[in-house]
Formats: sequence, structure tokens, C-alpha cells
Amino acid sequence: MQPTNLIRNFCIIAHIDHGKSTLADRMLEVTGAVDKRDMRAQLLDSMELERERGITIKASAVTIWHEVGGQKYELNLIDTPGHVDFNYEVQKALQACEGALLLVDASQGVEAQTVANAYLAVEANLEIVPVINKCDLPHARPEEVAEEVENSIGIQAEDASRVSAKTGMGVKELLDSIVRMVPAPKGDPNASLRCLIFDAAYNEYRGIVVYLRVMEGTIKEGEMIHMLGTDKVYEAIDIGRFTPSMKRTGELGPGEVGYFVSNIKKLSDVRIGDTMTRHKGPKVEMLPGYRPPMHMVYADFFPTNTGDFESLREALETLSLSDSSFSHEAVTSEALGFGFRCGFLGLLHMEIVQERLEREHDIDMIQTAPTVNYRIVLADGSTQEIHSPGQLPTPDKYEKIMEPMARVSIMTPSEHIGNVMQIASDHRGDYIRQEHLSPTRVQLIYDIPLAELIYDFFDKLKSSTRGYGTLNYDISDFKEADLVKLRILVNGKEVDALTSIVHKDQAEFRGRQAIKKMRKEIPRHLFEIALQAAIGARIIARETISALRKDVTAKCYGGDVTRKRKLLEKQKEGKRRMRQIGNVDIPQKAFLAVLGGDDAEGSED
Amino acid sequence: MSSWADATERNPCAACYNSSVQAPEGTPLYVHLPFCAAKCHYCDFYSVPAEGHDRHAMVQAILAEARLRAPLHPSLVFFGGGTPSLLDHDELRVLLDGLDQICGWRSSSLETTAECNPESLDQSKAETLLALGVQRLSIGFQSLDPATLQLFGRVHTVEDSFAAYAAARAAGATNVNIDMIYAVPGQDPEQWQRDLSKVLDLGPDHLSAYNLTFEEETVFRRWLEQGRLQQHSEERELRFFVETRAALAARGLDAYEISNFARTGRECRHNLNYWANGPYVGLGPSAVSKVGVTRSGNIKAIGAYVRGALSGVRPEAWEETPSPLQRLAETWWLGLRTRAGLSAHEARVRAACDADDAAFLNEARALEQQGVLACANDTWTLTPKGLPLADWIAKRFLALAD
Ligand SMILES: Nc1nc2c(ncn2[C@@H]2O[C@H](COP(=O)(O)OP(=O)(O)OP(=O)(O)O)[C@@H](O)[C@H]2O)c(=O)[nH]1
Ligand code: SF4
Ligand SMILES: [Mg+2]
Repeated sequence: MQPTNLIRNFCIIAHIDHGKSTLADRMLEVTGAVDKRDMRAQLLDSMELERERGITIKASAVTIWHEVGGQKYELNLIDTPGHVDFNYEVQKALQACEGALLLVDASQGVEAQTVANAYLAVEANLEIVPVINKCDLPHARPEEVAEEVENSIGIQAEDASRVSAKTGMGVKELLDSIVRMVPAPKGDPNASLRCLIFDAAYNEYRGIVVYLRVMEGTIKEGEMIHMLGTDKVYEAIDIGRFTPSMKRTGELGPGEVGYFVSNIKKLSDVRIGDTMTRHKGPKVEMLPGYRPPMHMVYADFFPTNTGDFESLREALETLSLSDSSFSHEAVTSEALGFGFRCGFLGLLHMEIVQERLEREHDIDMIQTAPTVNYRIVLADGSTQEIHSPGQLPTPDKYEKIMEPMARVSIMTPSEHIGNVMQIASDHRGDYIRQEHLSPTRVQLIYDIPLAELIYDFFDKLKSSTRGYGTLNYDISDFKEADLVKLRILVNGKEVDALTSIVHKDQAEFRGRQAIKKMRKEIPRHLFEIALQAAIGARIIARETISALRKDVTAKCYGGDVTRKRKLLEKQKEGKRRMRQIGNVDIPQKAFLAVLGGDDAEGSED
Repeated sequence: MSSWADATERNPCAACYNSSVQAPEGTPLYVHLPFCAAKCHYCDFYSVPAEGHDRHAMVQAILAEARLRAPLHPSLVFFGGGTPSLLDHDELRVLLDGLDQICGWRSSSLETTAECNPESLDQSKAETLLALGVQRLSIGFQSLDPATLQLFGRVHTVEDSFAAYAAARAAGATNVNIDMIYAVPGQDPEQWQRDLSKVLDLGPDHLSAYNLTFEEETVFRRWLEQGRLQQHSEERELRFFVETRAALAARGLDAYEISNFARTGRECRHNLNYWANGPYVGLGPSAVSKVGVTRSGNIKAIGAYVRGALSGVRPEAWEETPSPLQRLAETWWLGLRTRAGLSAHEARVRAACDADDAAFLNEARALEQQGVLACANDTWTLTPKGLPLADWIAKRFLALAD
């Protein structure tokens, strides 16, 4: 067992793409944790989707060894995601550490999640080690960036380490400073056992793997372990560290980060943030743990084939083993039958869950447009939360309707301030304040309805700042608003899965936009299709998709078949991600038509 | 009887060239001659203006390719292009005789067609073609309107077309096809009917009437995109389509395919083989072959083709073997274009597909419900409503192959 004074626990936090995973790569390399020949870029991003998209979705922990002054230190590193949707992952990681490397891209400078994640680390009482990365870039501007860090976060950054995660420059020195700057964990190896469960994952071979950080005492194989929150008892069958592969050590002492494997059957037995102690040992106090993840957006999933409802349920349950941060509950739709209403941390999270369901479980499904949760106050003063626009009763049944407000912090180069203010006000934003981070960068704070953020605010912010604007948000409160239900009718029949809730002033415009988009997405049929948008009983817009009467190739001979077939294959409407309502085939994209944005699937990054 | 033995005998180097399989004896043969007097503005066949090209070398190259891979005793032969009639008498003789020496087509071909254009078909050219064993002449009129011919970039006049037709008949041609194009920008449907009627007065055995298509990478497509040309509305194109079929049927030329019309017994057997998804060997630049379940195409570029073929290597550019379900979808698509239609059983056999085709039958029944397919004696055909929707229907079947 490693003495605590030779242990350092830290995580790497930053805005998306500032190089966290790449820095972790270099650390693994410099310390010899991974053989040169096994090395690959962003090694800790092991999920297929992480590799494909080049982003980290889940935090990963790994133990490396580093020598300073003849002493061998155990460094437990946690690489975290940078995307705003996954800051819950960051919060989990922070609890397991005494220090955080705050990485800032030397050319991009401080961005929204740089600040947001830094504050999380400050709140968690971590020692923050600022690091300026990508100093190899020709347009690196480390001095200015250091100034931005000082102005926005209020920590000393003059002497921040300057590294290149790409070339490895400065990485060894950085490891030395981590040993120097990050406090050693406290904790008595002989005290009563208290471990924090900071994550869990499903491993094909080992079943459920619990990620833990020992706070006090020593956890040993063979002991019976009590999970206080869920009140379950499991034997510690296998205890070890991530190196990054799981390496058995038999025990872990205070300050150490590692894994715990038992024959845990249900992931619900394991709660992230829970405290583990020795069964029948002395009573210990529970660790503060985590607040549960906050679902920002909700959407319904329906199987393309109604017969696949049970497979969808199984798929959702299996997926929640490796991603406990989304919720699901069964729902029924008149138009789409049985499905699930799911809650997500954000739009990207939603997209990832949907993609993983399709890929890892080969489920073909339709997803409704994401929505936020509304709060309605009934005549008797009681309140009710609704997660789906279809649930909104007619206006005579409620007193008022309240929507979640987001406190949004936007970072942008100063030259785009005007544009950003314009789109914020277009999205019903209330100006709060602004701060200059440096002569060229500014932070704007707005209160914007969450529904507006997901409608198309992310896309608009990107396009109006040439991609340089970034944002972070938190739910501040609920606010009364003049909201109405926008209904969509297809050939005269209302489709509940297409209903949305919109602000009264925007209803007509958004209704028109929605059916215009639907007209583009719904393929022509052999009969005419009427699309209507309605508020209450009033039809506010109408579009027609004319009947298809002619679609034929004039010339088709032996030399044409391959080329023409490929052309037809390109044009054809796949059977996938399409649902029939009445006798109209409606593709996935049409279901998202009530969202703004060009592709209606946009997400912030 | 397999032709493997013959093939290897004729070509001792059979093992070393890259073509995959030698086509069996009797496989239909297509020969592509890539030269035209000028490039038409709507045309996306592979052809280039003849000017400045060595036609003799092309003939030699095609013969060289034939030695490598022409099927023995093809049952059908088609000289297409391009404009085969552009070759002079000697070139035609060298090519057709040479081919006969290689594969003996004259004794085996049940139908031999040559495509001709008015500017290069006079009576003596027609006589030469017939004397060399061609039985069927196909003449590209395309339009009876001088302004349209000019818009098309055709190098002949309306009079040339009539003269070429007369020459073919005078030379003794008993099976003549005329190619026409309708739904030309600005064309009046009634004028088209009058032109069509004039063409029919000539008494062709066969007529191909194509709705003008703005194919990718053609001058017409560019003009369309630039707004210099306007396509007729869907409704109007449909009117052209329906009226053309009616007018031709009234004059004894029944539609046996979307764009092809013939007197009974004069249907083009070579093309019917394409719609049956049958095998064929194509020689010449860009020519496509289908042998077994594999389709392959030659390189287009004339220089590279000639060099390749003359060096004894098959100048192949691509090859594809569609999946069994793709083949099935293709077979339905192509088969449904014809008046004869096809049965589910025929589709499976032609596609060499023994995968489960229940989904295809279900789709066919669903389409029958929608009034675009009809089924009689197990044979599926397009209904009058379905005919102009043949591609839409094809896409439904292709979606089943995903
Ligand atoms: N030039 C240069 N590029 C770097 C450096 N560090 C990272 N990159 C590149 O920056 C991109 C993002 O790197 P990642 O390590 O995936 O960034 P991340 O912070 O882990 O991103 P998320 O996990 O998605 O938040 C990759 O293309 C890296 O190759 C660096 O020091 N110099
Ligand atoms: S003559 Fe025929 S092959 Fe040649 S360019 Fe014109 S249409 Fe095309
Ligand atoms: Mg990463």
C-alpha cells in the first residue's frame, strides 16, 4: 500500500478540444505506463463514438508512476470531457481529487467551459494548476491567455506551465509541478473504511465495475462491503487500479483511486456518489456525494417497428448500465404507439444516447423533437411538471405555465458582441451583465429560456461569431411565460408526437417554419398531403405536398444499370428511421421540424 | 456446354489478364464505337467527336479486346455508341469480319443491330452494313424540328433524316428503328403529335421515344441549372408520356417498354435481354459487361483503352457484384419496365438469388393496393398509373435490399 504522502490525485479539466486527452496520452507515455507500440491518440477515449467524434464523453481514471527526487509517486489521473453536456462527469471526477489541471488552449484562450469547470473545481476545494497547452502552435499567445485566466477565474496564471500535449514539450516538468503543487490526500489507513463511488461502468467480461476513491481506511479483497445509500452488501472480489487496463492489487489505501468488482447484478444497486464501508464495521458518516444529474431536455423514442418496443426497453436498460445519466419511462402516443420518454443532459447527450442505441443495440427508432420540462400551476395552486408538450392541458385547465430559465454565460471575441446581443434578444433573453476578460474577449451573461437555447441558439451563436463564441449554462429558475401549444396536423389528423410548446409571439412564425421544413422532409406520396399548423382551434399555416405522378427514367440499357441503380439508391427513402402515420410515411427529420436550425439536429460543441 | 475450354484455347494467356470470368458461349455481345460527328448537348453516352482520332487503331483495339473476352457464338449482337455508321466501309469490314473470325457471330446472331445517324447513313453505307451481316438499323432522328435539332447540337437536318431512312429501305433493310425525343423545352404537345405522326407515316418497325432527360454532366444539364433551359412541369411531361403511348398504340406500335415501341415480333431482343437482367459482354471504351452476377465496365479514355487492349490486357475500370437482394431489386426494377413484366419466381432465377423474397412479394402487394402494380397469373406488371412511376417503384424495391 502506498503511503498517502506519495500519492497525488488530480483531474484534467478544460473546454472541449483544448487537449485534455492528448495531454493524458503524453503523461502515459512519459511515465512509461503504456508501451510506445500500444500508444494511440486519445488512448483513454475507448468508446467507439468517442473515437469517431474525437471527443471525450466519459471520464476515465488511470494510475501512473512518476519519480521526483528519488521518490516514486502514485499519480491518479482522471481525464474529463469538455462538452457542456457532460459537466456532470467533471463534477464526479472532482470529488475524487485534490487537484485539477486547468488546461487552456494557447490560441483559443479561455472559453465558456474553461470558466465553468474551473468554478466547479474551486467549489470542490481543489488546488487548481493552470496549464497553457498547444504552445507549439504558431499562433499561440500564452501571455494573453494567462491574463484571460487571471481575469476570468481570479487565479495566478503568470507562471502557468506552458506545454504542448502534441509534442510532449513541458510534460515531464508539469508532472514535477503536480507533485509539488497538488496536496497529498489525507486519510488514515487504519481508520474505518470510507470510499466514494465516483463512477461505474459495465464491462463485458467483469460485469459491473465500480470506480472508487478511498477516503479513509483500507479496502481489501475478501471483505464484505456495505454500500450505505442503497444499503447493499457485496464481497470485494477483485480490487485494483486502472493502469489504464485493470490491474489487480488486492487492496487500496487512503487517497487511492481504483476499481471494485463483485457479482453485482443490477446497476441500480450502485449509486454514483454513494459511500462504501466495511460491512458490520464501525458506523461511519456518509460522504456528501453528488446531486443527481439534471435533465435539461426530454425527447421520446419510439421503435420504427411497433413490435420492437420490448427490444427498445431492453436496449435502454442495458445502456443505462454504462450511462446512468439519462432517464427513461414508458409513454404512449396516439400516433406512434408505445415508446419511452427520456431525459438528457443536453442535445449532444441525447444524440449520443440515440446513436448508441442504434449501433450497440441495432434498434431502429424515431425520436421526437427535444423539449424542456414545463411547470404548470393549476387552479388550486398545485403545480405539475410536464416533460412532453402533448401533456399540456387546454388553457382553461391551468392558471399559469412556467418555463425553465438558463443563466447563460457566453464568451466571444469582442467584435461579435453586437451579433450575440441581437440573437440573445431574438431568443427572449434578458441581459444581466458583461465582463471584459482581455482587450479582445468578453463574457456576456444572459437569462434565456432553456427552450430557446435548444431551439436553435447554439447554431445561431456559432454562426454569428464565426465559430468562436462558446457558452455555458445552468438552470436558474422557472419563470411564467405566455406559452401556447403548437399542434401539427397531417392530412387533417393531429399528430401528438409533433406537438410543441412555443411562446405566443413566436407561434405563427415557428408554426410556418415547422411545416415548411416538414414539407421538405416528407417524401412525396402518390396522393396529396396537407400539412397544417394550429394554435388552439385556429389554423395558422398550411402547406401541401403534391401527389407524385411521374418518376421514371427514360433510357435504361445494360450500360446504365449500375449507375442508375446507385442513383436510385441515393434517392430512395430508406425504411429506416421512418414511421407511418395514417398512410403517410414520416421520416425522422420531419419529427424534428419543430426545432430551429438548418439541420434541426445541431448541437453545440 | 461451357466455353472455358474454347476460351483458353483461343487465348493461351487466359489466366493472366484481369477479367474475372469468361462469358459462356452464346452470351449477347455489345460493341461500343465511341465516335460521333459532334457531341450532342443532351447526350451522356461515352462518345467524342471523331475528328483527330485514329479510328483504325480503335477497330484494332476492339478486335484485340474481342480476342481476350468476346463470347463464342453470341446469340445477339449490337453495335452501338457513339455512331457506328460513322466508320467507313473498310473500317466496318475489318471490324465485322474480324469479329466474326474471333467469335463466329454471323452464324449465331439472331438479331444484329447497328446504330446509325442521318449524316453518315447513305444507301451504300446501308448496303455495306447489311452485306456484312447487320439485320437491324437504328436511326437517330431525335426531332423533326430544325430549331430543336440545332438546340440539340445535331449535325444533320430533318431532310437528312428522311433521306437516311429512305436509303436504309432502298438498301433492303427490313427492320428499322427510329429514335425520337420529346418533352423538349418549349415543345408543344400537339406539335409533337404531328411530328410523331409524320415519323409513323414512314412505317418504321420499331420506335424509341424518350422523354428528354437532363443527364448529369451534359451541356443540357448545365443550361438547365443556369436557367437557359426550362424543363416542362411534371404534369406536362406526364401528358407527353401518356399521349405518346396512345398515339403509337393507335398506329400499331405497342409499348413493350417504358420508351420502346414495336410492331409485334419486332421488339429489340438485345434490349429485352437487358431488362431481363441477362448476361452480356460489352467491348469498346466504357462498355459494360454482365457475366454471372458481376457487372464490370471498361475504361472510357480512348487512348488508355486502345493502349490497354492492344497490349493484351483487358482495359477494365470497375467491377461490382451486387448483393443477392440488390440483384433481386434490380431484376424487379428492370423487369417491371417491360410489358411482359415478371413473376416472383422469374425474378429469383434471373437474379440468381435464393434469399428470402417474402418482403418483395409483400411490397408488390402493397403497391398493387396503391394501384401501380397489377398481377395476373403470378406475373407482375406496371399499371397505366404505375408506368410513369417506374423509378419510384424501383426505389421501394431497392429499399428492401438495405
Ligand atoms: N497543435 C497541438 N494540437 C493539440 C495539442 N493538444 C491537443 N491537440 C489537438 O487538439 C485536438 C483535441 O484534442 P483532445 O485531446 O481530444 O481534446 P480534449 O480536450 O480531450 O477534448 P474533449 O475530450 O472532447 O473535451 C486534437 O486534434 C489534438 O490532436 C497540442 O499541444 N498542440
Ligand atoms: S450521336 Fe448519339 S451517341 Fe453521339 S453524341 Fe449524339 S446522341 Fe450521343
Ligand atoms: Mg478528451
